[in-house]
Amino acid sequence: MKKKILYIEDNEQNLYLVTFILEKHGYQVFAAMDGQQGIDSAATVNPDLILLDIQLPLMDGYAVARQLRTNPDLADIPIVAVTSYAMAGDREKAIAAGCNGYIEKPINPDTFMQQVEQHLPCREE
Amino acid sequence: MNSLIVNIQKKYFQNIAVACYSALFALLTFSCFAETRPANADARTVSVGVYQNAPKVFTDEFGKPSGIFIEIIEHIAKIEGWNLRYVSGTWAEGLDRLVKGEIDLMPDVAYTSDREKTYSFHKIPVMSVWSQVYAPRGSGIQSILDLNGKRIAAMENTIQLETFTRLTNSFGLKITLIPVPDYKTEFEMIAAGKADAGLTNRLYGLMHARKSGLEDTPVMFDPAPFFFAAAKNASGQLPEIIDRHLSELKKDPKSAYYAAMKRWTSEDVQFKIPAWLQISGIVLGIALFISLVGGGVLKHQVNARTRELKLINQEMEQRIDERTLTLKETNLKLHAALEDLAVAKERAEAADQIKSAFLATMSHELRTPLNSIIGFTGILIQQLGGPINEEQSKQLGMVRNSANHLLSLISDILDLSKIEAGQLSLISEPFELKKSILRVVQSVRPLAEKKGLDLTLEVADDIGTACVDERRMEQVLLNLLSNAVKFTEQGGIRVSCVCEEKNYLICVTDTGIGIKDVDLERLFMPFHQIDTGLSRKYEGTGLGLSICKKLVELMGGKVGVKSEYGKGSTFWFTVRGDIGDEHEYFQESPMHQYGKQKNQSDPGSQ
Repeated sequence: MKKKILYIEDNEQNLYLVTFILEKHGYQVFAAMDGQQGIDSAATVNPDLILLDIQLPLMDGYAVARQLRTNPDLADIPIVAVTSYAMAGDREKAIAAGCNGYIEKPINPDTFMQQVEQHLPCREE
Repeated sequence: MNSLIVNIQKKYFQNIAVACYSALFALLTFSCFAETRPANADARTVSVGVYQNAPKVFTDEFGKPSGIFIEIIEHIAKIEGWNLRYVSGTWAEGLDRLVKGEIDLMPDVAYTSDREKTYSFHKIPVMSVWSQVYAPRGSGIQSILDLNGKRIAAMENTIQLETFTRLTNSFGLKITLIPVPDYKTEFEMIAAGKADAGLTNRLYGLMHARKSGLEDTPVMFDPAPFFFAAAKNASGQLPEIIDRHLSELKKDPKSAYYAAMKRWTSEDVQFKIPAWLQISGIVLGIALFISLVGGGVLKHQVNARTRELKLINQEMEQRIDERTLTLKETNLKLHAALEDLAVAKERAEAADQIKSAFLATMSHELRTPLNSIIGFTGILIQQLGGPINEEQSKQLGMVRNSANHLLSLISDILDLSKIEAGQLSLISEPFELKKSILRVVQSVRPLAEKKGLDLTLEVADDIGTACVDERRMEQVLLNLLSNAVKFTEQGGIRVSCVCEEKNYLICVTDTGIGIKDVDLERLFMPFHQIDTGLSRKYEGTGLGLSICKKLVELMGGKVGVKSEYGKGSTFWFTVRGDIGDEHEYFQESPMHQYGKQKNQSDPGSQ
């Protein structure tokens, strides 16, 4: 069974790029275009990993991460922030909000999968 | 002729001076004996008796006869061409000698009809003198009645005593008379308490009473005229000659007679102000004069100074007013300036926030399109989307390299902006330096191997934990290492790390193109890539080394380079070791809150 990854991202190009890479590497990708949708999807899909953009409309990635962490059913799902935020403290803020990892945009296609997969508990393949 | 004057003011008597006349004289008749030296009228030599009754006649301190009578007779003698011979003795002896013819003239003899029988008198009196009773100070004698029962000292054979005796008898007074040879003895006896009072003439009294501690009483009597007495049977008309001269002398106020009278009565007889009082008076007078003059001068000066002060005061007030006005204006300006400053500060702070926001936005907005470019280029090159030919792969590789270069440019500019804005935050935590170095070296190894370069690592055994911002340290090392690879075409690169006191020294040595000495100075300045003529060959923003320098310095270390042109370079920097002084380090560095991940520290991004 394919691992499920939920990608919460409002930018279509990024969404397409990451989805393409992940699917090419055999993952089932669920997309959410805003924070609330992402939280809802997480509850229904119960993904193996969540990729979370920080700069989102209505509700930013930090808030989404915090809310996800309040749900005991979802508490164990690793969350990796993917953001072009590059100012001081962004990484720490993301970790503090409940994220497990932090990938800076623009992503490096050569290392992206490695960065993602290190947060997955184990690999089937 | 007898008169008694009681209770008359002393000053009155002083002013009267010498005036009056006494008449009665109990003449003692002596038997004449011894040698007779007849006084010859034509004789050149005139003998004059001298006794002690200053200031009328006396012997001065030099033994020279002196006094009013002496001066007058000397004046006459000078004109007449006489030789004067003085014979000293007491009053009684003098009279005796005159009777005997031993002397020609006896001065200071009061006229009486009795004496007229014995001596020859001229007609014009030399002077008139009052007699007066003298007593110790505070004797309480106010009238002749107070003399009852007293011991009175007096010179014998004087008209004075004769008159006094008659007076006291007529008042029924009981007097004990103490005869004395002269007035000096008399005053000494009174002063010694051997007599209660004494008789003298006023001239002598005025002159000597004060010295003897005596004072004159109001009991004054018998003003008597005094003459030169000549021997009765003497020839030569001495009385007539004397009268003639006295007549002349008394007509002329400037004559020797008046000069003598003035000298011996007015001056000496006048009440003498004690020397100390005179000196005091003079001093006081001078002081008064000086103070008056000084006062005037001072007053003038004070007035002048007061006017000056008033002027100065007005000037000062005016100045103060002006100054106050200026101060008010300055104050207003200052307030305005402060307000401006506050506004400027607000603006600056606002601008700073805007700048921060701008940096964040720039970072995001520039990276988002780059995300697509790099991402899609990457997946195409990886052929995730399908196979591509070699030419396409080469072209896509160029796109990827340019995109990565653009990304590093953006990152460098953002880094530098943050550093210069003081917004770069560093997080210092102990970490294992060796592991960190190894990680960076491994990330560069593919590039080095690609160029056929040896990449060696020499880390000393005693390298432990460092305590700086790990990612920033890695950024620096990566930058230096990337440069080394970039500028070295053959040979190798060696990375070494040794411990130096509390710090670690990390060196990156290459066998590259090297750097000219002239370029070394500017090497760490921003936007400076040495013009090697190969610029286009070597990509780079020229910001790398300046960022390295600033980062190392922010972390409390140093950075430097040694190079030989054409042979290679060694770049080095120091890293603070974790030697239990984190606290100190935190204090030194204002930026220690948080670090952040950087592209350069990501091995895959280069």
